[in-house]
Amino acid sequence: MEDKNLNIENLEIKLESENDFNFKKFAWKQFKKNKPAYYSYKILIFLAILALISPIIATDQPLYCKYKGVTMFPALSFYNSCEIKNEDGTTEIIQYDIAEWKLLDATSIIFAPIAYDPNKTDYNNAGYISPGGKQIFIDKAGNEKKMPAKFRHWFGTGKAGEDVLSGLINGTRISLSIGILSMLIASFLGIFLGALAGYFGDNKLQTSRGALWTMLIGVVFAYYYGFSIRSYKISDAFADSGFSVLMQLIISLIIFCAVLFVFYLLGKLVGKISVFKKSVFIPVDSIVSRTIEILISMPLLILIISISAIAKEKSIINLMVIIGLTTWTGIARLTRAEFLRISNLDYIQAAKSMGFKEFRIIFKHALPNALAPALVAIAFGVASAILIESSLSFLGVGVPPSTATWGSLLNAGREQFSAWWLVVFPGLAIFLTVTIYNLLGEGLRDALDPRLKK
Amino acid sequence: MLQYILKRIFIFIPTLIAITLLGFIISVNAPGDAVGRMVSSVQGNGDMGAQSVGIEIKKKEWREKLGLDLPIFYFSLTSLSRPDTLYKIYDKNEKEALDRLIDKYGNWEQIEMYHNSLTKFYLNQERFTIDTNKIKQYDKNAVLEALNQLKFEASALKASYEKVVINAKMEKVSNLLNTYSFLTPFKSDFEKVKQNYSSIEKNVSVWKNYIPRIAFYGYKNQYHRWLFGDGGKFSKGLLLHGDFGISYVTRQPISDVIYSKIGWSLFFSMLSVILAYLISIPIGVKAAAKRGSRFDKSSSIILFMLYSMPSFWLATLLIMTFANTDVFSWLPASGVKPALGYPDGASFLEMVKISVPYIILPAICYTYSSFAFLSRTMRVAMLDVVGQDYIRTARAKGLSEKKVIWKHGLKNALLPIITIFANVFPAAIGGSVIIESIFTIPGMGSESIYAIQNNDYPMIIAVLTITGFLTLVGYLISDILYAIVDPRISYK
Repeated sequence: MEDKNLNIENLEIKLESENDFNFKKFAWKQFKKNKPAYYSYKILIFLAILALISPIIATDQPLYCKYKGVTMFPALSFYNSCEIKNEDGTTEIIQYDIAEWKLLDATSIIFAPIAYDPNKTDYNNAGYISPGGKQIFIDKAGNEKKMPAKFRHWFGTGKAGEDVLSGLINGTRISLSIGILSMLIASFLGIFLGALAGYFGDNKLQTSRGALWTMLIGVVFAYYYGFSIRSYKISDAFADSGFSVLMQLIISLIIFCAVLFVFYLLGKLVGKISVFKKSVFIPVDSIVSRTIEILISMPLLILIISISAIAKEKSIINLMVIIGLTTWTGIARLTRAEFLRISNLDYIQAAKSMGFKEFRIIFKHALPNALAPALVAIAFGVASAILIESSLSFLGVGVPPSTATWGSLLNAGREQFSAWWLVVFPGLAIFLTVTIYNLLGEGLRDALDPRLKK
Repeated sequence: MLQYILKRIFIFIPTLIAITLLGFIISVNAPGDAVGRMVSSVQGNGDMGAQSVGIEIKKKEWREKLGLDLPIFYFSLTSLSRPDTLYKIYDKNEKEALDRLIDKYGNWEQIEMYHNSLTKFYLNQERFTIDTNKIKQYDKNAVLEALNQLKFEASALKASYEKVVINAKMEKVSNLLNTYSFLTPFKSDFEKVKQNYSSIEKNVSVWKNYIPRIAFYGYKNQYHRWLFGDGGKFSKGLLLHGDFGISYVTRQPISDVIYSKIGWSLFFSMLSVILAYLISIPIGVKAAAKRGSRFDKSSSIILFMLYSMPSFWLATLLIMTFANTDVFSWLPASGVKPALGYPDGASFLEMVKISVPYIILPAICYTYSSFAFLSRTMRVAMLDVVGQDYIRTARAKGLSEKKVIWKHGLKNALLPIITIFANVFPAAIGGSVIIESIFTIPGMGSESIYAIQNNDYPMIIAVLTITGFLTLVGYLISDILYAIVDPRISYK
């Protein structure tokens, strides 16, 4: 078996080189020709970099500081404090996150390009100071001065003196990470379920009656050992941190899969008993399609808000998971349709006739050819996930209230319409990002599916 | 065809049940204490003891009324160590504490004994009245203070499950008991509590937690009651009578709330669909007919931008510009009618006239996104049709371009956008959460948000369930419409 397999893969490579046609290269070329999509792609890379480095470009902690002979890199360091020995023998402790850096008598100091933290306030400039308005700076002696350019609030301030630009940059990280990570969850689910539904349909996945029943019992057991028993561990993790929630969930999932696998093996044995030997079809397609139908028939925003209201702690990770779990339907539908088409193609029949395992055919042979529509759906999905997140924070639900996001900034702007900068800039940011992803989706669709291009 | 419809309806039922289940699961896990909220406003002033007894009775009444004294579902997946009767403990914290104790020690017999002795200890305090005249050695206030403290510690003990916390509380209680001689009647009770607690720690049987068990509760459960009612005593049931229960906020039947709120949502979604069709069909057709023209290109760009525009941003911008005394104070910013209501004796026409300025901004926000989507769909559908043979035939016959496009082409291009009409009614139930809450329109959307913020879960489930149901019906109708309009489609 292994030999044949090797042959067929070599053959593929050979064919490719003979025809000198690489679909990926072709698609990339097509994509590049689509100017709006290509520029969107470039802007997106820029935004992603901005999101990644946002903790060091919009923070009140300086990048570099030399104070009393001690060199510090507060924004870049993992530690939060530094001990400085004075000449008279006393020690001075500088806590990075609460120190008044702007008033420090440092020998030399380099601030971040936007020298404000998104969640901290500048009391001197509280009360909606416009970007072009008079901003003041009060030095250590208490003298009021004109704001130096390096400390200026370029996009104005909010009610309590929050720096809007810093909030925007921080919001980029939150929006992009929610959009991308929730779509990661959604695409795993969507592609996996869509592939199974499309490939097997209702009457192709055959198994013995015994194996099916054992598997069904196995799901109950797996759920019990994976989630029921561990429910308090998981719910306690919510009080801890987003990371430990993820860890607990992953442990639960591993136990779930392990138990299921044991029952799968058991099912094989049970299936050999003559009473349970009768073969049955598993209606994979019906199950997946019904699940999709249920999810899309619910009002998405209300569903997401009410699920996130259950969680004791509001956190961004919760929101990601909830958005991911509710928005995979579009991806699943497209993947399913693609698999329906592909599963009847000759090369799949050939692979089947060679006796390859079904899962190998699905994920190795069929999936690469079915990914194009899913990819398009993912690009649109990221756009809608970002929209959902910003709508939720606009309504003041979903994300923790202290987090500065595009939606929450915009919401703050509703209190004071004369503060146009609180409405225009965050709105523009959302609009731009959503447009970029939509353009990207269209570009991908045109590039990956030449049949659609007219 | 009939067979197809029957088959669809048949598939419909399990989907609908799953939708009700999903809503139900959300509501069961919802935070907040419904019974406590129902009772809270009834509280009056009066004697402490009598009041707390009165509250307990009221709470019991409401529990029965809301059906919260029943098990949740027909069956539950539980462990060998857990009893079937845990649902009978009403207090959520107490229940969780017990469940966590089981989770830790796995010996229900001992835990039950501990819990019972603790409850007895607590109840004896509740019933205890001190003749303050008899106790001369202490100040009257100090006596009451000590008793209250004891009660507080005892009730806190009922809700604790961590060893450290329990030990600390127990120490506090024994300190109290030792300090005040008038508290001696409780000593024996407390000794029992302590004994039972140590016996929990001695007889650990954690292995019982690892053996799953399915507990059956029969049809007397919350879900069954919600669906089928309890024989008309408190609930008539959702399936036969459309009874969604009582709102936790207003204490009115949910159906009344929905009835009073749905009007505006329905109005706006109908209006927006009609407007969207009126604008998008001509634009889409014209863009497709003159493909590549300047009109096509510019409309494409504008539509695309509108499509990506977040509705809450547009809404805020519109209010900021047209309902702002600093810029243009042309239109009102919120509501659907003047704050003081319509003037007395206003005729319907006058009422409409008064309301129109209020409706303009929300209507724009309601319409633009579906209009952008519809136009784009229309254009693609039309492009598809224009390339077909029969259009060429029509042209070859010498028909005018106008006639070809508008008469022969349009009919078939309309097919894909029929589907969208089926979404009007479900959209009305959910309402547009964002637009309604920005413009404070008294519709279903703002009601849903209000319900979520106030943990009014019966309302939320009602919204989820009705929307789900209507969407499914909408799909069915649009599929049937498709088959009627397009003879090429047959369902066999």
